Amino acid sequence: MNLKRLCRDAVLTAVALTIFIVELQIPDLLPIPGVKLGLANIVTVTALFTLGPVDALAILLCRILLGSLFSGNMMALVYSLSGGLLSFLVMLLLKKILTAKQLWAASVFAAVAHNLGQILAAVAVTATPSLFIYLPILTVSGVVTGLFTGAAAQFAVKRLSGVLKN
Amino acid sequence: MVKTRTLVTIILCILLLAIAASLFLWLRPAGGRVANVYLDGELLYSIDLDALTEKKTYTVETDRGVNVLVAEPGRIRVESADCPDQVCVDFGWLTDSAAPIVCLPHRLVIQLTGETDVDAEVGG
Amino acid sequence: MRRATLTALSLALTLALSSCSPAPAPQTDTVFAMDTVMELTVYGDEELLGEAQALIADTEARLSVTREDSEISKLNKTGSGTLSGGTAALLSRALEICALTEGALDITVYPAVRAWGFTTGEYRVPGEDELSALLKKIDYAAVKLAGDTATLPEGVLVDLGSVAKGRLGDDLAAFLTENGVTSALLNLGGNVRTVGAKPDGSPWRVGVRDPFGESYLGILEVRDVSVVTSGGYERYFEEGGEVYWHILDPATARPAKSGLVSATVVGADGTLCDGLSTAVFVMGLDRAVELWKAMTGFDLVLVTEGGEVYITDGLEGSFTLSGDYKTKELQVVRRG
Repeated sequence: MNLKRLCRDAVLTAVALTIFIVELQIPDLLPIPGVKLGLANIVTVTALFTLGPVDALAILLCRILLGSLFSGNMMALVYSLSGGLLSFLVMLLLKKILTAKQLWAASVFAAVAHNLGQILAAVAVTATPSLFIYLPILTVSGVVTGLFTGAAAQFAVKRLSGVLKN
Repeated sequence: MVKTRTLVTIILCILLLAIAASLFLWLRPAGGRVANVYLDGELLYSIDLDALTEKKTYTVETDRGVNVLVAEPGRIRVESADCPDQVCVDFGWLTDSAAPIVCLPHRLVIQLTGETDVDAEVGG
Repeated sequence: MRRATLTALSLALTLALSSCSPAPAPQTDTVFAMDTVMELTVYGDEELLGEAQALIADTEARLSVTREDSEISKLNKTGSGTLSGGTAALLSRALEICALTEGALDITVYPAVRAWGFTTGEYRVPGEDELSALLKKIDYAAVKLAGDTATLPEGVLVDLGSVAKGRLGDDLAAFLTENGVTSALLNLGGNVRTVGAKPDGSPWRVGVRDPFGESYLGILEVRDVSVVTSGGYERYFEEGGEVYWHILDPATARPAKSGLVSATVVGADGTLCDGLSTAVFVMGLDRAVELWKAMTGFDLVLVTEGGEVYITDGLEGSFTLSGDYKTKELQVVRRG
């Protein structure tokens, strides 16, 4: 049973990592740090809604750590980590009050929270409060990309929950 | 459980507010052409872009990496950098925007303001 | 649902508006006086600026060496004169600083400064004979002050320019403080006097010019002090491949080459800081540090020809290197 769980989580981590690395090849949409599709979050959302918080968190952390390592951007780790954890927390809370059909909304709030977490980390690390000027545009970006990844995740949950759960 | 209509309304409100705020913040001119360059939040250079008469290059090197800044009369940009994301280079010229150029991996921020980040200057 | 929307909206509005709290507006003024541009920033009554201007005008009228009718010009012309209380007090204080610095500051170096052309801009390098003749006229100890009456030997000329702006800063600060001002920045042409801190309580940030470049060497965060820098990089001329700057060594009547390119003095007594900045530049690193160790009431930021930056320990925590100096090691000089 444990071995199965390990394999399943590992496969999902690999999927997330692949998406993450592929997305890196897409040129930046806007020259603003933090504006990106965040496709790898489809996996996090899917995992959270089918497997539960423990597995989802493990997959998320492994993906962030290995993603930073593989992309050679270890300096971005602190931003990814604070964004990832804040968005995970928001999703966890929303999961309690939202139904499976409203999963897309959880993803929107999670994406916005992700960007907020990144800005908070950036402001703390660079000691530059004026970076908050990026908050509105990153919120817009979070809503849009969150909708997209949310819809994809909702689709994945519908189709895969049977496969993943057993 | 929360109604879907409520969710849609909240998200729409957030989206509209964020768009309005973005437009307000981004279309607002910086109100000056002094480029303050910060590393780790501390002022590194304070360059009066309007007082420049020729192109000047500043190399900011730390153990995290290198950013090469080019300042010309009225504008400044990151010409090259060895950071992985290249967001700072892709930003292009900073001429009159309140939004700063940021290189998060190297913790470098370039911000235009009305005046230098010092209150007075001594020299002799 | 309505309530949720309203809450979200009002929350966002509150956030947006709360960032725009008004700051008290400073009164500012730009005055051209004493050969420089002065900028006064005062958080207080607008009328105070008018009186500050009058104080500046009066100081210039009393002390200028280029104005024919100033007290100093009259003293220089006739060799003796009765000075006003303020001028006599400043002359007395200046002579004390000359003595303190063992002549590294000398208020009688003026004939030499004139001979080099630094007063007119018609620069020249005086010959050896001329310099040795000039050297005989440089002797602050020959200036006699009895009460308000000063007398000078034949050929000796006095210039209080090396302490005048410092004293002006002290006088302005005292005047403003008496009138209830708790926050002001007086930039007397690179000779900065701060009153209190900024209205938000944070210290004033004074940038020290990089002697080798365009930006700052470092930034001083200070309150209630004078900051004065002497350097050889703003007023100088080149002849035959040699750089001659305007700060002369009273011992040689030539530009002071002590190994320092910039000397900044920070302290509560602006007159002292002003006089010491010149003296310290003339003395060089070692003698300057000795003087600092022997005295209290001021701190130093010194830059050597090699680009090394020394500060005395009183500035630890309030001085940070910036720009190209960021990567350098700051040398902190300590007592004992």
